Amino acid sequence: MRDTQHRVFMVGWEYPPHNSGGLGVACEGLTQALAEANTQIFFTLPYRFPATVSHMQLIACQNPEEIEAVLRGSGPPLLSYSPGLSPSLNFATKDSLELATLPQSEIEQRVNYYADQVLQVGSQLRRKYDLIHAHDWMAFPAAMKLQEKVKKPFIAHVHSTEMDRIPSGHGSHYIAHTEYLGMQRAERVIAVSNFTKRILVSKYNIDPNKIDVVHNGVTPASRLSDEHLQFATERPMIVFMGRLTAQKGAEYFLQLAKAVIDRIPEALFVVAGHGDQYHSLLFQSAYQQLSASVLFTGFMRDHQREALLSRADVFVMPSLSEPFGLVALEAAQRQTPVIVSNNSGVKELLHHALKADFWDVGKMAGYIQDLIQNQDFRQQIVAGQNEDLKQATWDNAAGNVSKIYTKLLEKK
Amino acid sequence: MAKLCLYFQLHQPYRLRPFSVFELNRGLDYFALGSEQHDDNAAIFRKVAQKSYLPMLSLLLELVTIHPSFCFALSCSGVFLEQARAYQPEVIGLIQRLVDTDQVEILAESYYHSLASLYSPAEFAEQVKLHTALVEELFHFTPTVFRNTELIYANFIAEQVEQLGFAGMLTEAVDRYLGGRPRTQVFRSYTGKPLPLLLKHAQLSDDVAFRFSNKNWEEHPLTSEKYVHWLNNYYPEEYINLFMDFETFGEHQWEDTGIFEFFRHFVGRALHFDHHFVTPASVLEPLANHPKTLDSLPVYDVPDPISWADIDRDLTAWRGNSLQHDALRLVYSIEADVIKSGDRELLRDWRRVQTSDHFYYMCVKWSADGDVHKYFSPYDSPFEAYNRFSAVMVDLQDRVRLGKSK
Repeated sequence: MRDTQHRVFMVGWEYPPHNSGGLGVACEGLTQALAEANTQIFFTLPYRFPATVSHMQLIACQNPEEIEAVLRGSGPPLLSYSPGLSPSLNFATKDSLELATLPQSEIEQRVNYYADQVLQVGSQLRRKYDLIHAHDWMAFPAAMKLQEKVKKPFIAHVHSTEMDRIPSGHGSHYIAHTEYLGMQRAERVIAVSNFTKRILVSKYNIDPNKIDVVHNGVTPASRLSDEHLQFATERPMIVFMGRLTAQKGAEYFLQLAKAVIDRIPEALFVVAGHGDQYHSLLFQSAYQQLSASVLFTGFMRDHQREALLSRADVFVMPSLSEPFGLVALEAAQRQTPVIVSNNSGVKELLHHALKADFWDVGKMAGYIQDLIQNQDFRQQIVAGQNEDLKQATWDNAAGNVSKIYTKLLEKK
Repeated sequence: MAKLCLYFQLHQPYRLRPFSVFELNRGLDYFALGSEQHDDNAAIFRKVAQKSYLPMLSLLLELVTIHPSFCFALSCSGVFLEQARAYQPEVIGLIQRLVDTDQVEILAESYYHSLASLYSPAEFAEQVKLHTALVEELFHFTPTVFRNTELIYANFIAEQVEQLGFAGMLTEAVDRYLGGRPRTQVFRSYTGKPLPLLLKHAQLSDDVAFRFSNKNWEEHPLTSEKYVHWLNNYYPEEYINLFMDFETFGEHQWEDTGIFEFFRHFVGRALHFDHHFVTPASVLEPLANHPKTLDSLPVYDVPDPISWADIDRDLTAWRGNSLQHDALRLVYSIEADVIKSGDRELLRDWRRVQTSDHFYYMCVKWSADGDVHKYFSPYDSPFEAYNRFSAVMVDLQDRVRLGKSK
């Protein structure tokens, strides 16, 4: 425990249970561990938070009724209460991924509105914190405005970039530019992996000396009782879990299924998740006559998610570009051997997991066959992963972040 | 003054329960829709029975009693009769009483309302046999005329049906194969040994089945006067074949549309204007036994399968996309192993997943046809239907595989 307490104003966008990607989960894990280590945190969100958290002070920086009116122009103030005119857009709970699918003008409106609200709150609280710590591009405009006003150091924390989400490189120029500006203006940049740091240096031209790498941790998993795992007992099961977007490489998972069932006909591949590729993947799977080899579960609730990760015989993450890849740690925690893409951050922590290029279907198929048919090999991988997991804690991550705080404040 | 041949289809599938990877290998009943405690298949059957089967069968019974020359045909899938027996036995009782009047004919079909005629002649023959056996058991009636699932027909199907010993078949009149000839005559199949055929009059059938309550239809409201007036345009030797779902009465067209009253008055009025009601067997059987006349009938040559569904009257409602193709491939790929297993429950489940409705639910045609499909589907989307079906196929495959290794 340090004697000097850090006081941090964090700008967020999503927080469990309102999150679709890893960002909210990472914010939860990190703030909890920081609070344990005697850090005092204000955490802003662009919506009203339904539950209470005890480890920090959450601040709702957006009033859904108010933003409705702002975006609609000057409508009558009670319009949103009129029956039949229920808001078609749910402003309060857009997570970062939904946000990015909106038209650019609306993204800007939302992000700028949030920035103004954060600025207002942040200015009022200016005597109660020493640092601004912002999570991903949605929060950067707010942090920049506040930094300018209150003249306190700003840390830009990068959990993922537009270059990861849209691997073709044809992502949103506005979003990429916002990321760039935020990182330029920040005193320090935290990247969730060396993989991400390399992208920030090569694609965004950020000075490598300005970037610290802090790997995410994983919250210890509760074990499911065996009765919850009594399903699909008659087949080796290989699981993919993630959004069905180009970034996550589900198409390669289908190719992998095709390659593996040539050798192990009863192998069952499970695709868990939803996304814009969903329909196309179903058709591709059927077209390749994989209907009884690849099952799609669609969106899954927490319990089913855990059951699937626990029951899986192999977990595969064939992402084209994965800044971190928390779900691979969650699978490893449940004693499931993991194959991760070389283009991922999590491989820097999971030294003992198997690794392959996302396109190298032959190599991954060989690994799967070995893991299913060779128990010793399987045990060896799982034991190694368990070793790796000891380091993958939020306490470690919080320790590293605290050091960055300390260094930054000493400089002043 | 024409000959009116009416046939109504009675069918309800066993819909699949929610089934995914989490339900695999747990010995669950695939067809307990909802849950095993509360089977929605039973609930749906009882609801349709209240709205349609019971009132319409009662009306038909009343009409055959009042009008001794009124007659018609029914076709009941085996899975319909099973569910009727289990969930609403009065339905069986009413059909029995209708058959006992000798004014009602029961048609032959495949027990599981399947597409087996397209995939497996052996399985098709077996399902037809099973169906005839059930009809004989329940109604002491032996069907002699065949109608295939959804009126699916092609030359090669007629070949199979002829070999099963039937006297004739019903199917759809499809313009691309009619070539401008009137659909109101009796045709013969384009097969080695021909079968006489009656072709559905789609326009007059669908005026009742689909358009009756459509307020945007220029002929709405359809009265029995107007309808019989249309029929009066036909000559005495013409056959007007009105084929439709039985659920038209009370379920697709609700009672408050006046559909029951329409039908009651239609029968009386048609008889009043000297139209003759006939049943398929009364027309086709004499022809089948008279080779010379049979050979002189115009030929209905259908090289590619047709059906009574959707605008194109083809098979794309059941196998128009890769989801459907692969699902069907899976079903028939395990045929030999299922039969060999001798496992009666496995065989029954495998046959129940052959019911054509499962593939119909996976249709993704977005035109007006899609609306009809959506109306008939219990699932949120065709993709959900496919996902459930695929998971059930995995489970069935496992039962086959594990049974073999025992």
